[in-house]
Amino acid sequence: MRPLTLGRLLFRCGILAVILFVVVVIALKMGAVQVSLYGLGRDLIRVLLGQSSAISTDYGMIVLDIRLPRILLGIFVGASLSVAGTSFQALLRNPLADPYVLGVSSGAAVGAIIGLIVENHLALSPEVAGLITPFGAFLGASLTIAAVYFLGRRDGHIDSSTLLLGGIITASFLNAIIMFLMNTLAGSNLRGAVFWLMGDLSTPQPRSLLYLLSFGFLVAAGAIYTTASDLNLLLAGEKEAMHLGVDVPRVRLVVYLAASILTGLAVSVSGTIGYVGLLVPHVMRLIFGADHRMLLPASALGGAIAVVIADTLARTIVAPSDLPVGAMTAMAGAPLFIYLLRRRLT
Amino acid sequence: MHRSIFIFMTRPVARLLAFFFVATLGVSAQANSPRLASQPATREVVDEMGRSVRIPISPARIISLAPSITETIYALGLQDRLVGDTDFCDYPADAQKKPKVGGIINPNLEEIAALRPDLVLVTKSINRLDTVRALDTLGIASYSATDPHTVAEIISSTQKLADVLGASDAGKSLSEELQGRLAALQSKLAAVSPRRVLFIVWTEPLISAGKDTFIADALRKAGGISIVEATQDWPQMSLEEVVHLQPDYLVFAASHSESAARDFDALATRPGWRLLDAVRKRHFAVISDAVNRPAPRIVSAIEELARQLHPEVFQDPPAPEKVPPSANAAPSVSLRPALSSYSPSNCSRSTESSCVH
Repeated sequence: MRPLTLGRLLFRCGILAVILFVVVVIALKMGAVQVSLYGLGRDLIRVLLGQSSAISTDYGMIVLDIRLPRILLGIFVGASLSVAGTSFQALLRNPLADPYVLGVSSGAAVGAIIGLIVENHLALSPEVAGLITPFGAFLGASLTIAAVYFLGRRDGHIDSSTLLLGGIITASFLNAIIMFLMNTLAGSNLRGAVFWLMGDLSTPQPRSLLYLLSFGFLVAAGAIYTTASDLNLLLAGEKEAMHLGVDVPRVRLVVYLAASILTGLAVSVSGTIGYVGLLVPHVMRLIFGADHRMLLPASALGGAIAVVIADTLARTIVAPSDLPVGAMTAMAGAPLFIYLLRRRLT
Repeated sequence: MHRSIFIFMTRPVARLLAFFFVATLGVSAQANSPRLASQPATREVVDEMGRSVRIPISPARIISLAPSITETIYALGLQDRLVGDTDFCDYPADAQKKPKVGGIINPNLEEIAALRPDLVLVTKSINRLDTVRALDTLGIASYSATDPHTVAEIISSTQKLADVLGASDAGKSLSEELQGRLAALQSKLAAVSPRRVLFIVWTEPLISAGKDTFIADALRKAGGISIVEATQDWPQMSLEEVVHLQPDYLVFAASHSESAARDFDALATRPGWRLLDAVRKRHFAVISDAVNRPAPRIVSAIEELARQLHPEVFQDPPAPEKVPPSANAAPSVSLRPALSSYSPSNCSRSTESSCVH
């Protein structure tokens, strides 16, 4: 295998970025309301030139205020989940590790549901109330991360298999709490909760939240990328990595925290979208190899592509209704996972 | 500035982030453009969710996101102004022909925007708060209507909705008619003692309506009293408790009485249920599923139930005055799916009609 040079890295990422761009343009065109490619191109150019007020078309609002934010959210969620999945798989040296196996999403779900209950009982302005569920989800995710992290400690060290088991047990405990909450809640709370659990990108998020998410992604993904070479060495084993000069405890802490923050942020705005964090890293590894300097950016782009495609399908298959994007990723993801598994065995 | 980002960051991941960042800037660049250029005359009202909302004085393009609201709009004779409703707005039949904007918990925002409504009507009890927020973000006026707990509140809510839509007179005559019919019914039932009933929403698990719901109030108005004491809206009942409380009547809400009868027979063969006097005596009432929606039609369902619970009071009247159309429909669907429509624990997307009130 040829060594990874900066040029090759950029070239491959460039290709993925072009694919993402094409997917985004297609996603902008597709939807319940028909939009012509010409009109779309004209409007996009106007936006880039800062003349968006010139867009007088009926669908200006539909494309720019409804579809584009949703697509951007999809890009963010897909990239975050995939980077988190790649990181967890490398860190725990376990191909089944993904953000959800570690209980983070269940914790976020409990937080979100409690947020939904609180929201209905407090008389708050819509702007404030809208932030309670994402905030609750993020808080739930953070607390779960802390709990699982302490569960996974053994003699002051993080033990990968203990961490994984701790995550699974925590997830199942939290799922029981979710069932309890869902069965004791009154009608309208429940509706929001069910919707949330299925994963959904259809709710436009406040702009300030989008900025916060972009910033969080920048910091967390950047932190993970600084350890990319260390993660490569970690694949050989923790002792081996340590002997090669990797500060294993530090890498573990940084990657675990950053990946968990990515998951928490993604889950807080989208609900639980499964399979992206598990599957995209595997596919990218098959295509580009296991070098994390390549794998991490490829996963980010690949995850973004996957979620935007899944969400576009979710929007259009049963139009005018929406399918939950989580259902789409699971429907496409599970068979794909089985295929990859069988292919590797034969 | 973008240039400096690209020079400064050579790592691809940073480039990717820069891409997101620029993309996000791109979105924000067009944030503040005023989209609704020509605003018609508006006024500020407080909706039933307590929000202060600015709505047109006389809304001409209305979208309803709840079947109960759609029914109310038709009852007020304002259907010409209704430009869109949901997949679950099935009454009256004409409502099915209106342009659909998707489901109740997952309406399609694109379709809503494309219909250029000047007012979107939602209800606190079945729509999601997120939908309301999304409409706010898009600058589409919305008004949250009924979240009633009694039949009286349904009627006053109807009146309020009529006021909001600039049809106060129609609202007044409608609510007076409904109140008149209820008053006539009450005077008829004044002499009889109420029947103890179990309203069955769903049989497996057994789910009934709590005492604070408008359904429980509708039962009271029809000369019944729910044996359910729970304050939850949709309590799950244990069969033990039901056997202990021994209701006089079981009440089913269904669109087809024949299938309800079949379902009752199926229920009667189950071991525990035979312990109920009401089952042994075949004391069950089937009423229109209109009782599940907080709309004017609920008064018809109440009259219907009163007639079945207290047939002795209704011996002499000539023909049944007002039978809801759905009761006459051909029996083709089994009761189970019909009942499922009202099970709160099944409010998933696939059975979204479950959330329909």
